[in-house]
Amino acid sequence: MPSKISEKKPEKEVAAEFTSYYLQRATQEFAEDLDKVRSADDFKSGPDGIAMLVHALQQGTALFSSEDQRRIIVAAQTTSPAAEEK
Amino acid sequence: MGKRQSLGGDAAAGGNPRKRQRIVHHEAPTSEKIHASRQLQQLLTFDQDTGKARHGLQSFKLFLEELLSEDKTTTDHETRCRILREYLESTRPGSEEEEKNAAYLPDIMQTWSHAGQLNNDQVMSAVPAVLALLLRLLSQSLDLVLFGLGVCRALLQKKQLDLMARNLCTDKGKSFIISPTLRLLREAICFDGGAVAKPFFRARTFTLKALARNLGIAHVGVGEIAVDEDKKRPSTRTNAVRFFLSALKFLHPEAKKELLSQKDVIAGLMRGIKQDPPYLVIEILEGLRDLVIQDDKVPREAKASLLNSSTLARVASLYSYPSLSDEDSDHLPSIPDLAHSFLMTACTSPSCGVLKFDSGFYPRDVDPDAAVPGAELDDLGLESIVWMNRFKNDVPVRNYVLSTFLQDLRPWSNVKQSELVIAIFKVAPELVAHFFITNKSFSFEPKLSATWIGYAAFLFQTATLPLPDCFCRAPNYPLLPPPTSIVVDNILPLPLNQKALARCLAHKGSMISFFATRILVVALQKLDLAVKMYHDPSHANKTLWGEAARRLADEFCQRSPNIQEMINSYRSIPGQDLLHREAASRLLRLYYEVIPQVALMAKFDVSPFLETALKRLSEKSEQEEGDARDHALSLMELENLLAIAGYSPGMRWFSVAENLALSPFTSLLKVFVEAPHGVVLSKVREVLDFVAKEQQLAPTRPGNPGMVPLLECLQYVRSTDASYMPHIWPFLDNCLTRLATAPIKYLESMQNMAQQATSSKKRGPQEKAIVSPMAVVMAEQTPFAIKGADGVVLGALSAFLPVFLDFSETAGESRKVLDTIRESINGHFDDKKARHKRVKRPYQFNSLPSNEKTTDGETEERTSNSRGKTKSEVPMINDDQLQETLHVEDGLAADNSALMKWPSKTADELVDDGYAMSLVSLLVSEHASIRREALVNILKMAAKLKASDYEEKEQIWLLLSEISESASKAGHDIGQGPLPSQVVAFACHAIKVLRDPLNPLYPKVNTFLTRGPVWDLNKVPLVNEVLSEEPSVDDSYYAQISWLLAYMIDALRTPADLALFHKKRLHGGPLLERLLALASNPYMRNPLKMQILRLLYRATTIEGGSTTLITRFGIVSWLEAQGASYAQDSEEAGIHMALLRRIWSTCDQQRVSAWSRQGIEGVINGDGLS
Repeated sequence: MPSKISEKKPEKEVAAEFTSYYLQRATQEFAEDLDKVRSADDFKSGPDGIAMLVHALQQGTALFSSEDQRRIIVAAQTTSPAAEEK
Repeated sequence: MGKRQSLGGDAAAGGNPRKRQRIVHHEAPTSEKIHASRQLQQLLTFDQDTGKARHGLQSFKLFLEELLSEDKTTTDHETRCRILREYLESTRPGSEEEEKNAAYLPDIMQTWSHAGQLNNDQVMSAVPAVLALLLRLLSQSLDLVLFGLGVCRALLQKKQLDLMARNLCTDKGKSFIISPTLRLLREAICFDGGAVAKPFFRARTFTLKALARNLGIAHVGVGEIAVDEDKKRPSTRTNAVRFFLSALKFLHPEAKKELLSQKDVIAGLMRGIKQDPPYLVIEILEGLRDLVIQDDKVPREAKASLLNSSTLARVASLYSYPSLSDEDSDHLPSIPDLAHSFLMTACTSPSCGVLKFDSGFYPRDVDPDAAVPGAELDDLGLESIVWMNRFKNDVPVRNYVLSTFLQDLRPWSNVKQSELVIAIFKVAPELVAHFFITNKSFSFEPKLSATWIGYAAFLFQTATLPLPDCFCRAPNYPLLPPPTSIVVDNILPLPLNQKALARCLAHKGSMISFFATRILVVALQKLDLAVKMYHDPSHANKTLWGEAARRLADEFCQRSPNIQEMINSYRSIPGQDLLHREAASRLLRLYYEVIPQVALMAKFDVSPFLETALKRLSEKSEQEEGDARDHALSLMELENLLAIAGYSPGMRWFSVAENLALSPFTSLLKVFVEAPHGVVLSKVREVLDFVAKEQQLAPTRPGNPGMVPLLECLQYVRSTDASYMPHIWPFLDNCLTRLATAPIKYLESMQNMAQQATSSKKRGPQEKAIVSPMAVVMAEQTPFAIKGADGVVLGALSAFLPVFLDFSETAGESRKVLDTIRESINGHFDDKKARHKRVKRPYQFNSLPSNEKTTDGETEERTSNSRGKTKSEVPMINDDQLQETLHVEDGLAADNSALMKWPSKTADELVDDGYAMSLVSLLVSEHASIRREALVNILKMAAKLKASDYEEKEQIWLLLSEISESASKAGHDIGQGPLPSQVVAFACHAIKVLRDPLNPLYPKVNTFLTRGPVWDLNKVPLVNEVLSEEPSVDDSYYAQISWLLAYMIDALRTPADLALFHKKRLHGGPLLERLLALASNPYMRNPLKMQILRLLYRATTIEGGSTTLITRFGIVSWLEAQGASYAQDSEEAGIHMALLRRIWSTCDQQRVSAWSRQGIEGVINGDGLS
């Protein structure tokens, strides 16, 4: 059962995968605005500016409970074997 | 240790171009190589000729430097060591007695003293330099330590101390004198593990002389960074810092405390830190960390005197220290990181002396357990707590140092600073409100800039901070609730005001609206938690905390944007922005869950959003590609919308929108069946079951499979041949829509079929012949569906229908009736090939394919529960729980303070903050003087409002004028008795309507007001218009009923009011009867039905109320019938039962028993009640 496999996945791993997915989606959805921010006068070049942007974007993961995060990550993992079966 | 000999070549050649060249007036001293101790003795013998003295000292210095630097295994080294030892032996005082008067190295000391008299700077500098080297050398060898200690003791003699002090406070340009002296002191204090540190500190008037000033003598000017300070030629500051740190290292805790209390030294140490070279910054930070902050022996107050707000600010300035060169960054830690960890420890650890324990949301000087007289609490409520409204513009705090320090930080521009501020907020919650009150100038006006994003991130984190335990960081709740303004400031920090948030939501940059939405989501979640804490059962005064909770929600609403703006923002989000859509839908859902009173006021029709979401999801599942995580995310958005649909009364599940092929219900069914594997669908399933039950699509009796056969069948057909599905959906949608429109019709035909089936098959009447009405409607619609249909459609239907019937049969529905239906359907299929074959498939509830899709097993559990439970019991609800559920505070309770407060308020505040309502409700006060005064004040308020520029001033003025006119002229003397409750309640609720022109009752209230200047005090205003007439605005029927019920509850307060409720004949009968009839509407949602129960509960609190309810309104059978419409084990059924018990316990039982001939008693006892 795919769900059983996924349940074994430790909490930390799920959180890390979810954060990476969240960032990927956010940068995709707000690509245009992010470019504008990066060209704003007060944007610090170098790692500090980027660190602040990433920090600001990824804190939104707090909106999702660990259960919700697992749901989303598990969806990705259970699809692939199903697709292979087809 | 570095030496100072290279005054020529290198420096002059331009080692440091920025460094000012020192003009050397004297020639470099001469020197000679030393071969014997005798020679050394002669060289250092006191001589009044300073040239000779310098020659001797310079020779000795070179000799010592060689000793320190050379290889210690060579014979040369041994020889030199011997020479030195012999020399030291020769200069040693003979006895201890002698040592008191004379000293070690008498010649050198005498030379030093002589130079002091002559003011010879070169010798004054050369002696300490030589002595420092000598001490360093002596400390390296165990057998020479005694000599070293002797030298140290010599230095402690008054003469030498004077000379050192003189050197230390010499002109600040003469670093060549100060630095060697500091080095000498450092060597002395470190000597032999700090053996003589104590006496050196005792002589601090000499040894610490001018230390604060010397700490400020750096190589560079203000603003520059001495990153390229030559490590071999450290500045005076570097030497002073090292001396200070060594002192910290070797002094005992009490002396450390004394040293740290020297404010000017600490200030001098920290002042220049930002300009220091990196190695020195690291030495300072690590030194202070290891020797002070993390040293448990150093008392707390000593740490506190080091870590004052100025020190913290200086360390914080290192956040912007320039990054190190590549060479340095390899072996040195990052300075901003080091400063960050220093500050994190210093500010958040209670043992460091900076952090003081606070009482959470209760400011300093406030006693949350102060006794407030009961009578005052009853009369004035929260207003009786003097400090409740005092902290809107200033919050006194215990953590003064931190509060000052916080103002120096820029959490919006740097992640680490933001982390630090949040960490401080976490350990000192009192600072949150204070921080934003004192930082008012920084606004949240939306702008796509890095600063705005940083600020939004910081505010988000502030909003996610946990609430302090019991609001006061204690194990138990205090007596009084915390100041509301402080709680709100912690949930939605001050910069997040209504205007700024509204502008963010409407901003064209979608990221700004996304950030604002996220902040609002966490704020609402926090509000929810806070309100739950206000309603904690352990509160001593529940009424007071309840009032505070309402006020909190009100203040939150005043600060958060209008829900309409959130709806508009959600509407404008493009379909592919899944994260944004999810967040916005979650926000709306939270509004419905946390502050439904606000959510329901908005005219939000969720249907179109739901339809679009369903359409998008269906399209996605048809494509069978893309990221499954995206699908799961979209599903979360859908779940949010479904939850909203559940809360909003006007959801149309079975009407097909123009651009859609299927109704929302069928679309949802489709989403459920066609969702990709692995996606959790339990919430969707819950909604499907809920709607099916509400719309009577399936029998709701216990044990009936409900929607299970249909879902099972659809999944089965899809797994067999997915190409059938597009032809099945329209047919199914048609059937379900018809069934939902006329459920009774199909129930009747089902009963007819059941009768035919049982009579023709001669079945006993005891067998329950029940099938799902879905089967009946399918049988009816089949001929229309196959008429003119092509082969594909016929194939799809013939694949679907028989399977559905078989599944229904296996699920336990009547086989005979299903056979009848099956025959009827078969008859319609002309083509023999299309005729179905029975699917023989073992059927089990707990192996549903749908269950495989869930990971939590909720569905399975629920199904087995519903089947496993043969007879459920009504849950027992006791009096306290009933009171908690149904008791409503008296909305017209007199708040006499309103008389005093309103004159100082603006027009907006009068209407929006409820002062007008409080004043009007005083007309029911039991004291004639208060009523009279209220009447005069109402007129004054009306005049004030009319003169103001408040937008709705005309209507409010009219209302206030009419009620005062009615109170004084309609044959009623306000001095004789209170105004009838219903009139006052109406006025109060009408004010709420008038302040919002979008309110669905706005037209009706205005029409009523313009009808005449005086109201009939024997009538209940506007009841007929709401109950009998069409709503003025479409889809607002339930909103109007909700308003009316709240108004009715407030209007029912006294026996006289109750009389009005049953005597007053309106068009359809007594008022209460008409209100009770509302509950028979099957589409009415539970919250509204509960309002009716609350009205009844209110009636039971009035004298004679329960008796009237039983004898005049047949309330016993009404409650029985209403309770029976819920599942027997539901909470609602329990509440109905508990209310019945309460009515019985509060009525005149003797009279009621006689009236009903013990019938009522029988009903009550028959239900197992006492």
